[in-house]
Amino acid sequence: MFKFPEGLYTDVRIEDVFQTSIQITMGKLDDVKEKSYKAAFIRLYDGKRWYYSSTSDVDSIQKEIEALASIACKNENIKEDPIFQRFEVHKSEFLKFTGKDSVKECALNEKMELLKNYSPIIASSEYVKLWRANYIDLHVKKSFHSSKGSNIVFDTQRVGMRISYELSDGDRKFADRFDRGSNYFSQLKGLEEEIKSRFGKSIHFLKEAAEIKPGKYTVVLSPEAAGVFAHESFGHKSESDFMIGDKSMEEEWKIGKKVGSEILSIVDDGSIMGTGYTPFDDEGTKAKETYLIKKGVLSGRLHSAKTAAALGEGLTGNARALNFEFEPIVRMTTTFIKGGDKTFEELISDIKEGIFVETLKHGSGMSTFTLAPSMAYMIRDGKIAEPVKISVVTGNVFETLNEIEGLTKDVKILEFALGGCGKFEQFPLPVGFGGPYVRVKSLNVR
Amino acid sequence: MIKEKYTEKTSQIALNIENSKVESVRRKDITKTAIRVYSENKMGVAGGLGKVDEEELAEKAIKALDFDIHYPVEPTSDLEMNIVYHADFSDSDEFVNEIEELLLEISKEQPDFIFSNKATLTTTENSLNNNLGLNLFHRGTSINVGLIFKRKGSGNIFDGFVGYNGLKYDRKEFLNLTNEICEAFKNNIEEFKPGRYPVVFLQSDSIYLMKLYRDLHGLIFATGGSLLSGKIGQKLFSENFTLYQTRNHADGFYGPFFDLEGVVTPEFRYPLIENGILRSPYTNKKTAKLFNLPHTGAAGGEYDSVPDVAAYPMSLKESDKTLEELLDGRKGIFVLVASGGDFTPDGKFATPVQLPFLFDGKKFIGKLPELNISSNLFDMFGKDFIGVGKNNLTPLGPSRAVIMEMDVSKI
Repeated sequence: MFKFPEGLYTDVRIEDVFQTSIQITMGKLDDVKEKSYKAAFIRLYDGKRWYYSSTSDVDSIQKEIEALASIACKNENIKEDPIFQRFEVHKSEFLKFTGKDSVKECALNEKMELLKNYSPIIASSEYVKLWRANYIDLHVKKSFHSSKGSNIVFDTQRVGMRISYELSDGDRKFADRFDRGSNYFSQLKGLEEEIKSRFGKSIHFLKEAAEIKPGKYTVVLSPEAAGVFAHESFGHKSESDFMIGDKSMEEEWKIGKKVGSEILSIVDDGSIMGTGYTPFDDEGTKAKETYLIKKGVLSGRLHSAKTAAALGEGLTGNARALNFEFEPIVRMTTTFIKGGDKTFEELISDIKEGIFVETLKHGSGMSTFTLAPSMAYMIRDGKIAEPVKISVVTGNVFETLNEIEGLTKDVKILEFALGGCGKFEQFPLPVGFGGPYVRVKSLNVR
Repeated sequence: MIKEKYTEKTSQIALNIENSKVESVRRKDITKTAIRVYSENKMGVAGGLGKVDEEELAEKAIKALDFDIHYPVEPTSDLEMNIVYHADFSDSDEFVNEIEELLLEISKEQPDFIFSNKATLTTTENSLNNNLGLNLFHRGTSINVGLIFKRKGSGNIFDGFVGYNGLKYDRKEFLNLTNEICEAFKNNIEEFKPGRYPVVFLQSDSIYLMKLYRDLHGLIFATGGSLLSGKIGQKLFSENFTLYQTRNHADGFYGPFFDLEGVVTPEFRYPLIENGILRSPYTNKKTAKLFNLPHTGAAGGEYDSVPDVAAYPMSLKESDKTLEELLDGRKGIFVLVASGGDFTPDGKFATPVQLPFLFDGKKFIGKLPELNISSNLFDMFGKDFIGVGKNNLTPLGPSRAVIMEMDVSKI
């Protein structure tokens, strides 16, 4: 298909994209887009440095390969390079979203009707001052070809809708949203009761939320909050590119080290359906299940071929690029906390005074991680009590991992329509996350 | 029929820096084109990547009128402007060589640290033309060197950053800045008493302005969902507090000088809050017209979108005092990294500061333990607002800092 230069490793990723976006504000159509394009990202490696090119002209790929080759240094021993040796080679088509499962086959009108049909649930309330409904879909068919012999075609698909609303009751204000992502358009149908339930909670929060007394509390995280915690606090630390070149960090992060409570296991797996579904990563590695923590013990980390070679570990299928404009870097796919042995009632039953974080605006994770709750509640005498307004929940990552003292049996993987993970310049990358309800002994709440 | 063409071209050399060395070189050359048509208070848009057939796009845009997207505004007309500028590098090879040499020197001078992330030389070209005499053209090349640093042996994925975004480049000044930050990082100041302190933010740090970005959004404001709704003309903040929506180079903005509707504001700014008085939320033409609000020229969106209200960067008017004079002999807490905090719906603010430095108005003295800072919107920019220093933190380019009094405690 392409003439790859001798003495160099080369791969080409062609993205054939179909996408739709629709926006309705206060019942009026604001924007509708349905578009298709093809574009490519080319990588070339000479054993010392990588050279990349991103182009929206797929007819120029061969020319781009040659241009990159002209600035690289030919390496007769490229096949002995540990990174070259790590690359997997696959040949075949792995298309999942074809026929009626493809958003391309779904009429634009049907997508607009979906939003219009849900809108009255929100629009009729006296508390709603502004509402917006968004629909998006994105089908990407990727062809990946490498000088090592890979020739694969696979696809991913994200479909989602969000209804966001600004609520006001006199001086009380609150902004919230219902957001649902999926792989299939059909799964966005029949959500009326879920939207009503979320909207009802938002109104309750608007009218009843009280000030929080800042301090340390036992905190119960919902699957959404637990998933963000796992992603931000530990998932990013598991991305091995952060370890390269720091021997002391390699020592500090030795596989087998105890890093958390014995009931805690965190997994990343690109083969799980949802918005983190990544059957192959962007250097042609097949998705794998990777335990980051297993029963409190550091068990694995996430890799590209480069980081796997540098640390002498195996590939995990986590080299991902936001789109054709970017090179793959180590990213999560679907990251979640495994379930435990309790029911939700059991989890909160002996908490005298604590906090339940149900929904989030955002989270972050350095040594001190943060969760910015949207809706949170007091727990009093083992029961969910009044809603409370919280700016931010913080904790030290490693102390918190060791202070996880209870997990429910049921695990929920969350899928959102908009947003995603940000790393360096590449935002927002679709990821999946989730977990059970998680009880943490003590966190700072402000 | 009124027809408009918008193009966006990006050419970029991006150097990925890993382990204090250039690990990869990425070239990007992407063109995006959109055609918009206006007819009977409606707009139709169609866009494409790379080489496009403009006639075909125009046909698609006309067909998009069938979506019936209400757009009751007059397109900008009879305006011709052309602004072209270039950063301090003549070509990409010179840029690659310079960054390699810079990294060598940084590694020698700061051997305890590992540097990573990106250095980019980016040219953006934007043009907007229509058949009513609108001809706007912007082409600018700017430099961005953003280095994340990690002290060897640190358990963090990163410890801090040093960066610069602008047109001028000076290796010596970048090294000075890097050395000052790294040396301060190594000087641990363990002792800290909770209390009220002057807290210093880089003006470009958006965390302290999050609530204003949200509550000054034209639609949220106009429909009553903002804490500031209905308060135009009221004095809500300090006399010293003036907030602009900006597309001005002096504020560190290097994008096009016009918005997505082709609107150019005087001095490329618009005062949203002036001497503490709320003047306007930020608006595009449609929102301003529908809700009878001032029009601030804040239309944005993707290149092929129907223009919507968009948050452009905000900047604060500087005072006539230096940071040292504003601190008036006190030591401030400089927020170098604060991630994850937020405001409650009623304006209370709290965030952890993962990397705070003690700061005397001229230099960073040392690294403080991780802190919590808290306040609320009306105090931060009201009675507790101290001001924006007239001086830049580095001679490299726009790098002003803002000071306000806050409650500070140890995490």
